[in-house]
Amino acid sequence: MSEVLAEVRDPGAAVSGSPARARQVLRRLRSDRPAMAGLIVTGVLVLAAVLAPLLTALEGQDTTTFHTQLLDSARGGVPRGALGGAGADHWLGVEPTTGRDLFARALYGARISFAVAFGTLVVQLLLGVAVGLAAGFGGRWADATLGRLIDLAISFPQLMFAIALLAIVPQSFPRPVLLMLVIGLFNWGGTARLTRGQVLSLKSRDYVAAARLSGASPGRIALREILPGALPQVLTYAAILLPGNMVSEAGLSFLGVGVHPPASSWGQMLSTATTWFRADPMYVLVPGLSLLTAVLAFTLLADGLRAALDPKASLRGRR
Amino acid sequence: MMRRVSILLTAATVLAAATACSGGGPASSSPGTAFDPQSCQGGTLYILDQTSATDEHFDPARIYTSGGGAVPSLVFRTLTTRKRVPGQAGTTVAPDLATDTGTPSDDARTWTYHLRDGLKFEDGTPITSKDVKWGVERSFAPELPGGIPYLRDWLVGGADYKGPYKGEELDSIQTPDDKTIVFKLRKPEGDFPYVATATQFTPVPKAKDGGTAYERHPVSSGPYKVQTHVQDKSLTLVRNPNWSRAVDDQRLACPDRIEATYGLSAAVINQRLSTSAGKDADAITTDTDLSPAELARISTDPNLKKRTVRGRFGYTNFIAFNTKVKPFDDVRVRQAISYAVDRQAAVNAVGGSSLATPATTFLPDQAAFGYQPYDAFPAGPTGNPAKAKELLAQAGLPNLTITLAHRNNDANQDGPAVATAVQEALKQAGVTVRLKAYDQASYRSAQTKPSDEPGVFLSGWGADWPTGGPFLAPIFDGRQILKDGGNYNFAQYDDPKVNAEFDAINKISDPLQARPRWGALDAELGRQALTVPLFHPIYLRLYGKNVKNTYLDEWRGSYDVAMVSVK
Repeated sequence: MSEVLAEVRDPGAAVSGSPARARQVLRRLRSDRPAMAGLIVTGVLVLAAVLAPLLTALEGQDTTTFHTQLLDSARGGVPRGALGGAGADHWLGVEPTTGRDLFARALYGARISFAVAFGTLVVQLLLGVAVGLAAGFGGRWADATLGRLIDLAISFPQLMFAIALLAIVPQSFPRPVLLMLVIGLFNWGGTARLTRGQVLSLKSRDYVAAARLSGASPGRIALREILPGALPQVLTYAAILLPGNMVSEAGLSFLGVGVHPPASSWGQMLSTATTWFRADPMYVLVPGLSLLTAVLAFTLLADGLRAALDPKASLRGRR
Repeated sequence: MMRRVSILLTAATVLAAATACSGGGPASSSPGTAFDPQSCQGGTLYILDQTSATDEHFDPARIYTSGGGAVPSLVFRTLTTRKRVPGQAGTTVAPDLATDTGTPSDDARTWTYHLRDGLKFEDGTPITSKDVKWGVERSFAPELPGGIPYLRDWLVGGADYKGPYKGEELDSIQTPDDKTIVFKLRKPEGDFPYVATATQFTPVPKAKDGGTAYERHPVSSGPYKVQTHVQDKSLTLVRNPNWSRAVDDQRLACPDRIEATYGLSAAVINQRLSTSAGKDADAITTDTDLSPAELARISTDPNLKKRTVRGRFGYTNFIAFNTKVKPFDDVRVRQAISYAVDRQAAVNAVGGSSLATPATTFLPDQAAFGYQPYDAFPAGPTGNPAKAKELLAQAGLPNLTITLAHRNNDANQDGPAVATAVQEALKQAGVTVRLKAYDQASYRSAQTKPSDEPGVFLSGWGADWPTGGPFLAPIFDGRQILKDGGNYNFAQYDDPKVNAEFDAINKISDPLQARPRWGALDAELGRQALTVPLFHPIYLRLYGKNVKNTYLDEWRGSYDVAMVSVK
């Protein structure tokens, strides 16, 4: 845990909320070009997802209307024209066999992908930080018990269990919320372990000892003294979890246990598009490149954020 | 039967060669020599399949086929068989072991068959009518489950018969001499010759019958005998020296050897057939159709297009109503949905006009079934939402919300793709459709158990033989409503007049006379909007570049392995 040690030696850690520290982080981030590119692309994608109704209205399409006249019915229902029927009416072409607009479906798919990724993150952070804090701060027995629980969470065969769980929950349960819960419930172990490590190292520091001696309650010490010190590391880690969550959602949708029709998500689109990759490459490229771009941008941003928060521990070792 | 139909679909979807489409005659594909039945013998034919065509057990008592099946019919000859010709003529019955397709008497309650001369088993012993009787009787044995359900229902005493292994005979099968066999049925069944194509009518020598062990080496009466058989993996057939074309006019049996491989994925099979490299040039498939995406790719390649054949198996995909569930008890709601449906979208959802034709009749669009075109609720190719809205307003149900049940995958064309197309079409008529997906196993039981049956759902139906009876009776005969499961009368429709018409037509043993009656009955039933027919599937299949005389028979929509050649 060299990162943790580095953090402990960093005098800024205990006062991470200070404006000076924030300015320093921002300055470091701004000079990190890949991270800035990631930030811009992420911003554009999130904005596009938020504005999906507006953008599809601008295009004049929606996600569910069939356009069978645009399909070559005799050829398996493949879109007529080059690039999967892309043009002024359908900016990214249409879906084979239905003629639904791909731009609209990809945009609304982005909403699901982002919502699930962020929602999952909230679940992961709540669970992970709570368990990590309790394990690190709660004494020997709590640590031993919760520590094994964390081990269990990390070593759990997540994919199999997630598929089973998604298959048995009634269909009336809102699917994106279910996806957040399922992915979140199986992926909080890392956050918990990191939080615990941070708490353990901060616990013995002088300012915590001072608070204890001045009569602060354990709850107050945990939440007001230790948690703020641990958060920068945890949040940095969280930023890296985000692209992972998107991939998890896509994976589950790809396996057919994601969103229900007629809703779209990138994973669902990829899943139906795979058989078409030779006949209609556009159908695969739209969700595939969207997912690639988003995951890459998030990863660059998260990596840059980590470097900016903690230059000494940066794995990339820049400047 | 629907369960069996899905087996049939895999085992039975075949091809009508591109050439067969234009000329109707057998197609020849290889450059150079044309197909000649006189000089087609030799070589090894390879079969690339997803599942074993023998229904897991290569025992004629247990195999469930239509018309004798593709591979089983190479080893097991039957009293009658499907006529081995392309086109609609292939939906008729031809004599196989028998001299004719059967002589009915007593209102088609008694059927008499005479065996032709010179028939021998693979070991040279002559085939007698007692061997056929034994074959039918052993299919009743509880230790040999599976096979067609009709014999138990039709033969006098069949319901209580437990097979011949304890020395008990079935008296309703009589063998007055070695060449004659007589079947006594408890009710008129004009379609008996169609059922006599099933492998249960294969002769089995009593001396060689080891019960459940018989499938390890079933005694061949056909052109090939089993050399090796590895369950669900491979099957190798070699020539039966005691068979000749002189005693069989329904099988050309061109290849010297046939090697089948099972357990391949559909994509792999179609990729191997389209590449056609090495041994795959001599290969066909008996269970794998082209997917929409594969069709889209192949249609731009003239060489592959040439090696594609088109076939039909009488099948209808439809929306089923449970008329015991509100609001589907109201005929106006059912009519409204019939008007609102967009058949063009449904056809495109399963791969477009090359893979399905829109259906307005419940009977498949083939003469054999008695097809008579009708459209009880004419709404054009894309539906008439205005008319649907009007009917719903009359019913006092504007802004209706319904839950459409469907399978969770599209393999049987009753999955999310078609459900979404229906959902979108009904939206135009102001109907909100919620979708409810069932997994593979629970979908069948939910549909066929009236107490669990959804109000409206996607279904499909194919018959075990190509006439109107097996296509209509299970769905619309009120006496076939089965409360405990296995029910296919989805509407739970019971009209004594319709039931009487089923009985009346079953007495007719001439298919040509029965056809117009089935067609008229279908039109009559169609007006009641008990189902919404959506489309009839079409099957496209590839074959290796050296394979000749490839056509998909219209009985099963599948390659007839007994007719293809690799030379």
